[in-house]
Amino acid sequence: MRHFLLYIDPGSGSYLVQAIIAAVLGGLFYFKQKWIQIKSFFGRKGKQDQTDNPEHHEGL
Amino acid sequence: MKVSKRHPASFRDPAGFVFEQEGLFYRQVNQSYAPHYDKLMQSGLYADLVKEKKLLSHTETETVVADPSRWYKTLLPEQLAFISYPYEWCFNQWKDAALMTLAIVKKSIAHGLILKDATPFNIQFIGTDPVWIDTLSFETYDETKPWIAYRQFVECLVAPLLVARHLTPDLQKIMMVYPEGIPLKIVAKLLPLKSRLNLNTLMHIILPSAVAGNKKAVSNNIPVFNKQKLLNIIDNLKTFVESLKTGNESSVWNNYYEETVLSSEYVEEKMILLKRWMQELPVQTVLDVGTNTGYYAQMTAAAGKSTIAVDADTACINRLYETAKKNKLTRLLPLTIDITNPTPAIGWGNQERTAFLSRTRTDLCLALALIHHLAIGRNIGFDQMAELFSTIAPWLIIEFIPKSDPKITLLLENRADIFDDYHEESFSHAFEKQFAIVKRQALTHTGRIMFLMRRKDNHPEI
Repeated sequence: MRHFLLYIDPGSGSYLVQAIIAAVLGGLFYFKQKWIQIKSFFGRKGKQDQTDNPEHHEGL
Repeated sequence: MKVSKRHPASFRDPAGFVFEQEGLFYRQVNQSYAPHYDKLMQSGLYADLVKEKKLLSHTETETVVADPSRWYKTLLPEQLAFISYPYEWCFNQWKDAALMTLAIVKKSIAHGLILKDATPFNIQFIGTDPVWIDTLSFETYDETKPWIAYRQFVECLVAPLLVARHLTPDLQKIMMVYPEGIPLKIVAKLLPLKSRLNLNTLMHIILPSAVAGNKKAVSNNIPVFNKQKLLNIIDNLKTFVESLKTGNESSVWNNYYEETVLSSEYVEEKMILLKRWMQELPVQTVLDVGTNTGYYAQMTAAAGKSTIAVDADTACINRLYETAKKNKLTRLLPLTIDITNPTPAIGWGNQERTAFLSRTRTDLCLALALIHHLAIGRNIGFDQMAELFSTIAPWLIIEFIPKSDPKITLLLENRADIFDDYHEESFSHAFEKQFAIVKRQALTHTGRIMFLMRRKDNHPEI
């Protein structure tokens, strides 16, 4: 099989592979961004909760 | 007319070739490569890479032309003192070579160029620094295309690391069998099941191995690529390579100096003696055979001698490489080579990649605490040793280990003592056929004896 492949453009098999990998990485990047958004959304909320807690206010 | 001889390993690339003339190596750039070469030089990529010591520098010369019919330029590259091959590198050397290749690709893309090949044979170590030596590997980057050398990079630079990581650290030597890269179908079969449960391994090894040979996979319906997609892949490959670490760091020899029965007095006495002898010798280059963690090789390198330090144990070499990097010992080149089975010549006509012993000539050879392993561990006679060492260097510093030594007792523990001829007289007798013994100094704490020898002038190598 490998030797057969050598007779065609050696790059073409790997072109498809790279296209798939690029798509996977693109997808991962998208979900990572979403995840960061979600985390920061809850993160902010969490912080607000903390600051609402009088024990965390400075000077008390 | 001056005779120019084409380098036996330089025939694949139509862009040009390497040739030798009067002891200097040149590189001819052919007409067909002219646009890419000009872009490399004019885009600033060449200057940037040379400044970062990632690319071998060169000067253009008009006076030497090897093949006028295709000639565009002749380059005189910075000359290399010694050539090593990937299957002689330790894990971290290999890893640094892979990371450097990716860094070059990234920098190239920023300058509108890309690497068209990614074989580790284009990389040499100058001391501890990997350097790309093939000036003709760059071509103009087409943003709509993925990386042409991607498969080669994975098969040649990632796969050996991966099998070494998951199976055994010196398995990079598998490149000797597959100098064009390990076919991914084989890599996929070699890798243990749990190592496949890794997204990077799945993407770069298992997926391509499944696609390989599938005719449908090479159809023309491949989506258009872009620069960002390629940069994502390069960054991902970098993360992948960086995540690979040698599995088991400990080895037979790795803790030699820490755990050994040898006293620190012995080590220091030997060091002082060695330093004294070295000062008197007219040597610039050293080969340290059986270097272990390279205690003495580090000394010769620090003293300004270009030192090649070899050992069969790749974990030792890996550790020495890291030490050399940390201590900036730029003249030290550690390599995984078993002197009882040194790298053979491979490739076209057996001339493409030469044998270790035919490319290694130094001024001095060190064989410290070695001969008992050769004689008793491997049944190699003193005559054979003397002959071998005499081909390497005109000067030899060799340590004789007497049979009463605890290390030999250990070696003989599980085997019959068939070594009646193992004593100093027969040792000296054998070596005096090739060498003149210049100095003989017993080490006070152990009964081991250091010899300084000079090769006899009638040796054909001189």
